[in-house]
Amino acid sequence: MTLGGPLLTLGTHAGARSYGGQDPQKTPKLGGRTPLSKRFIRGLGLLLAGTFLAAACAQGGGAGGDKGEIIIATNFPTSGADRASGRGPEAGANYAVQTAATVKGFKLSVKNYDDAVNGVHDPQKGAQNFTDMVNNSKILGVVGPFNSNVARATIPVANKANLVMISPSNTNECLTQDFPYCDPKPAALRDASQPNNYFRIAAPDTVQGPAMADFAIDTLKITKIAVWSDNETFGKGVADNFAKRFTSKGGTVVVRQDFDTKTTSDFKPFLQRAKDAGAAGIYAGATSATKGCIPRAQSKGILDVPYLGPDGIGDSQCVKDAGDQATDKMYFTNAAADASQDASNKDLIDAFKKAFPQKDDSGAYTFPGYDCAKILIDAIGRAIDAAGGNMPTRKQVLQAVQDTKNLKLSTGTYSFDKNGDPTSATMAFYQYKPSKSDWDFVKQFGVGQ
Amino acid sequence: MGAVGEAIRRRRSDLRSGLTGRALDVGLYVLILAFLFLLGTRVIEHGPDYLLQIFFFALANGAIYALIALGYTMVYGIIELINFAHGDVFAFGAFASASLIPLFGLSEGQVWGPFTILQLLAVFVVTMLLCAVLNVSIERIAYRPLRHAPRLAPLITAIGMSFFLEGAMFLWKGPSSVHYPDVLPDLSFTILGARVGVKEITVWITTIVLVVGLALFIDRSRLGKAMRATAQDRDAAQLMGIDIDRTIAATFFIGAVLAGAGGIMYGLSYNTAVFDLGFSAGLVAFTAAVFGGIGNIYGAAIGGLVLGLIRTFWDGYFDSAWSDVVIFAILIMVLVFRPTGILGMRVPEK
Repeated sequence: MTLGGPLLTLGTHAGARSYGGQDPQKTPKLGGRTPLSKRFIRGLGLLLAGTFLAAACAQGGGAGGDKGEIIIATNFPTSGADRASGRGPEAGANYAVQTAATVKGFKLSVKNYDDAVNGVHDPQKGAQNFTDMVNNSKILGVVGPFNSNVARATIPVANKANLVMISPSNTNECLTQDFPYCDPKPAALRDASQPNNYFRIAAPDTVQGPAMADFAIDTLKITKIAVWSDNETFGKGVADNFAKRFTSKGGTVVVRQDFDTKTTSDFKPFLQRAKDAGAAGIYAGATSATKGCIPRAQSKGILDVPYLGPDGIGDSQCVKDAGDQATDKMYFTNAAADASQDASNKDLIDAFKKAFPQKDDSGAYTFPGYDCAKILIDAIGRAIDAAGGNMPTRKQVLQAVQDTKNLKLSTGTYSFDKNGDPTSATMAFYQYKPSKSDWDFVKQFGVGQ
Repeated sequence: MGAVGEAIRRRRSDLRSGLTGRALDVGLYVLILAFLFLLGTRVIEHGPDYLLQIFFFALANGAIYALIALGYTMVYGIIELINFAHGDVFAFGAFASASLIPLFGLSEGQVWGPFTILQLLAVFVVTMLLCAVLNVSIERIAYRPLRHAPRLAPLITAIGMSFFLEGAMFLWKGPSSVHYPDVLPDLSFTILGARVGVKEITVWITTIVLVVGLALFIDRSRLGKAMRATAQDRDAAQLMGIDIDRTIAATFFIGAVLAGAGGIMYGLSYNTAVFDLGFSAGLVAFTAAVFGGIGNIYGAAIGGLVLGLIRTFWDGYFDSAWSDVVIFAILIMVLVFRPTGILGMRVPEK
């Protein structure tokens, strides 16, 4: 779109129709308003028009909702190798906006940003995108980003402008919660005088351990377990959280070891110890890059019990490392809820596939992306009400997102705590299936923090 | 007068160092006793079956360290060079054999027969030869031209060779760990309540055969004699008609054969290999060589075994995260108290 086009459109828009509510016949809702408030609305309309002119953005006004246009931005890595991750949630969010089309008389549209540089998500590019969004006053909310390090770079930009952002996929716990090892601290990303603007629907990494503990005790009926970790921030964190919940639910952690996996590959003494202590399962607080599944290969002939871990072991490298011990006794947790597991989503998924038929439109995070946009649209609706049916401020939208209560969507029922984390996030469980040579979905359930 | 004064001074200093030496020895023994006491309480807690099981794992672990340590100590003994690339030759052995195993028709979980043993033997022989050729080439390219250069120069080329090999293996198999096919049959025997698998037995037997063979070779053969002579005094050996270049090359050859065998057994035991494996394994093995008394072949074998025992016992009874701390603390103590290692240098200082 050229620069002149939208400016001209905006001019006519504001001048000739003078922003909704001006003509009572056209907008019956506002028919009963007093002239004073009409004048106020006109003033607001002119003010908004002025802002649009100043912003000189590339988004077209055009005809749509009578009251004006609200834009939802998306920010995902959608080019190169990262397109496989980023296009799914982008398509999902776009579909949500397209199907909603309008919200309380405002036309809804979407503007997509790509944060990939040379095919890889880039925090700098993300920050640039967010600066652009902040300067576009029609943008009232953002769906994204995909990656935690991009979130780290973009939260400060959006926070200053009260621009609300909802991520479908960020799991790094330090984005929202203050732990001693966090660097930077979550507070360092935010302006203390501004309300929190960052929300997510993926469970933070801290939830993976407790979720697997619930699964081990309730589903697998394990009461004694051996836990090891790679001693890294993520691995040790999930292992400790696992052990804590497992113990509090009445289970016993019979062996607890941390390894420097850079210097050792010998897990046999650990496995022997686990066997000696009567462990009926093993929890690996590690990733495939830190030898997460090598103990599974070495457990051959020592003890063949369920082998559990976080999403870091849920890949093909783990299966390779486990060798012929890659059996259906291996499980991992994943923070992305699988929408297709809920039968009531069938119509939604079919309709989505019709509208977005490309292969990379459908990924693990498509419907989490869809849900983020739905949360935003729902919140914008309430914010419009809060603004008396007018264009809400970004702060009002942000407040409305914070106030989201038990909103039932395709991947879960969402409310947010004061940090912006979901109060109940869906955790999915996967099990390795040798017959399929792949990980297979077992079940998913909502877990509290 | 002056000579007498000198003699008295020397006598005094001998006496003093003897006394300090004894005090230090006592300190070392006290520490060892404290450790053994701590270990003893845990051993009683876990029972004898567990102890024996950990001991069997430890022997296998130590045997692999010993095989690598032998290469370090032999090269040091003969040219006083720490061959930093040696650990990477070991890693190359693991990588090469991982590729050779399917090439020789072996696969994970197959049925075993007499022919399979031959196939595995062939993997051993080819891997050991490949490692030997690699190590001899390293010596020819990076060390021999620098034999009369200042000592730091070959040390730096050794470090360079180590990084070169790691880089090459990184390009070959990538950054993630490579699964090593578990080809040994899943058989085991129970000895006094402890399980001994084919893996452990293979490691023990191979190590014993190789170490005894090496000892006999060095003691009895002409080339072994030449190696001992070269280690003692290179110039005198040359004057006696010994081909120094050939002898040194043979030392690198034999060291790499042992490292190659170590690489295969590492893979067979732990079913994994990664491109920078040689760095950490090499460091521990080098420690073992120094621990036993660098330059001393029996010292290296014992040093490797002892370090394997320490690591596995620590993993089995205490907190694994501390394994490296303990191993290297022990190294520091041994060197402070006995700078020449447990058995001391067999090779006279020049």
